[in-house]
Amino acid sequence: MGSATLRLVRTPHSPAAVAVENRLFRALAVLRTIVLLNTVGLSIYHADDFARPVLGAVCIAAMVVWTAVVTWSCTEPRRRTPTVLGADLALALGLLLLSPLVKGDDFTSSLPGFWIVGALLSWSIHYRWQGGLAAGVVLATADLAQRQDVAQSDYGNAFLLVIAGPIVGFMSGSVQQMATEREAAERTAAVAAERARLARAVHDGVLQVLALVQRRGRELGGDAAELGRLAGEQERELRRLIRAQDEFAPVAAGTVDLAAELTGLERRYAVTVSTPGTPVEVPAVVGRELVAAVQACLDNVRVHVGPDAPAWVLLQAFADRVELSVRDDGPGIAPGRLEEAAAQGRLGVTASVRGRVADLGGTAELTTGSFGTEWELVVPLGSAP
Amino acid sequence: MSIRVMVVDDHPLWREAVERDLSDAGLDVVATAADGREAMARFPAARPDVVLLDLQIPEPDGVAVTAAIAEQSPETRVLILSASGEQTDVLAAVKAGATGYLVKSASREDLLDAVRRVAAGDPVFTPGLAGLVLGEFQRDTEQTPLTERETEVLKMVAKGLSYRQIADRLVVSHRTVQNHVQNTLRKLQMHNRVELTRYAIEHGLDEE
Repeated sequence: MGSATLRLVRTPHSPAAVAVENRLFRALAVLRTIVLLNTVGLSIYHADDFARPVLGAVCIAAMVVWTAVVTWSCTEPRRRTPTVLGADLALALGLLLLSPLVKGDDFTSSLPGFWIVGALLSWSIHYRWQGGLAAGVVLATADLAQRQDVAQSDYGNAFLLVIAGPIVGFMSGSVQQMATEREAAERTAAVAAERARLARAVHDGVLQVLALVQRRGRELGGDAAELGRLAGEQERELRRLIRAQDEFAPVAAGTVDLAAELTGLERRYAVTVSTPGTPVEVPAVVGRELVAAVQACLDNVRVHVGPDAPAWVLLQAFADRVELSVRDDGPGIAPGRLEEAAAQGRLGVTASVRGRVADLGGTAELTTGSFGTEWELVVPLGSAP
Repeated sequence: MSIRVMVVDDHPLWREAVERDLSDAGLDVVATAADGREAMARFPAARPDVVLLDLQIPEPDGVAVTAAIAEQSPETRVLILSASGEQTDVLAAVKAGATGYLVKSASREDLLDAVRRVAAGDPVFTPGLAGLVLGEFQRDTEQTPLTERETEVLKMVAKGLSYRQIADRLVVSHRTVQNHVQNTLRKLQMHNRVELTRYAIEHGLDEE
């Protein structure tokens, strides 16, 4: 199925293109009926002027029969053969050439009249602009060649045949191509969705096993505990990867998804990041500065609490602002230490965080005590640079 | 009387490990199931206090099973155990009526603790889940149904504080903190029901 489908996409006659052609031929069937009625009506009205009325009647009957046959043939793609389309054009051509014989040498309108547009448009639809051009030239030439004198309107009709054929053909080709492309795009999207679904199932299985190894290892102790620890690391890594993938949502140019950016920090720090679960779009500069500020806080946790000390980040998004909290469970910053550092000319993390947030028009507050240290950053949105 | 637990997971290894841990700790594993259909078939006879439910199970999935259990037997607690912790799924399960959520890599002690707490009607929130719930309340309501205190407690849970730590900081009892979290969960689920009802009315599903 797969290779067959791919082959069809590359050829011009993909299922979507065939569906487009079917529609166009259905529309053409209506047009054929209208031009047939027009020709038959006019012929009956002008019957007295015919040089050979019997031959004329036979020709009209042929037109009626052929219109029915070709309309029926063209409803099915497999019946749209070169023979049918060739016969269609040949009959139109033959009737044009019979015009002087049936109507007399001084005829003004040809015997089939507008009826020939049926054949012209068949070629346009099926053989694209090349077919339309060929049929248009052939029909126009035949029409002009046998007229004793070419009136302005005859020339105009011939010209229309020559340009209408390729234009309709070009449009038919374009629509068929677009339908084919859309079909291919839809299939690609479906394949991607299915792949994502499968990946999810596979990942879930892997995560289950890693979690199990981690759990059992911890209980067994010894070497198994080490295995369990490794499994735990991989499990966290894979889960972050999946989360990062899930959070990859397209954002407007010049903005970033702050939730995804912060979640990415879990890869480098022992931090738990809580977000609203939907993308939080902020201007790129705000995102960059806030992530840098949070990183500065987390680096500080590493230095002052411990390299593997846990930390927590909470992001809250409101219509007019974002609020960020960075917290640790450490011993807190001893009273006077910040002042002391400032006095020694070391501005350190406090100034760095405050500076970044102030540049964005926001505020940064530090709470510290025996319960740990917590930064609260509030940055307004909209008025930010 | 020991807590009656039903374990629903499509991975036999995992199901057995969890079952053994629970039994060793003196809990009563009354049924197991490998998929949603089995779970719903065995659930009425087993009458568990707690359903330990993996989100990623063959149809009907964890969220659907949670909703069905909440509908059939509101007194039964659902504790979600998920390997990947996919955010939208977890939030959907909690909105559908789950009382707690735990990542599968949690330790045995954490799991047992969570089962006991959930059995007592105590919500088990991870900081990540609290963040999602906060976001859910803050998103579309200019006027959140949460009280100031409830929002404060939920924020603290999202910042990784334990109930004990929250109680110390706010100078209230542990029980009070639990009540706040419980109310938050109830309001979230109610919020969900209101949405469902509105949806049903809009789509003409309320007429019998």
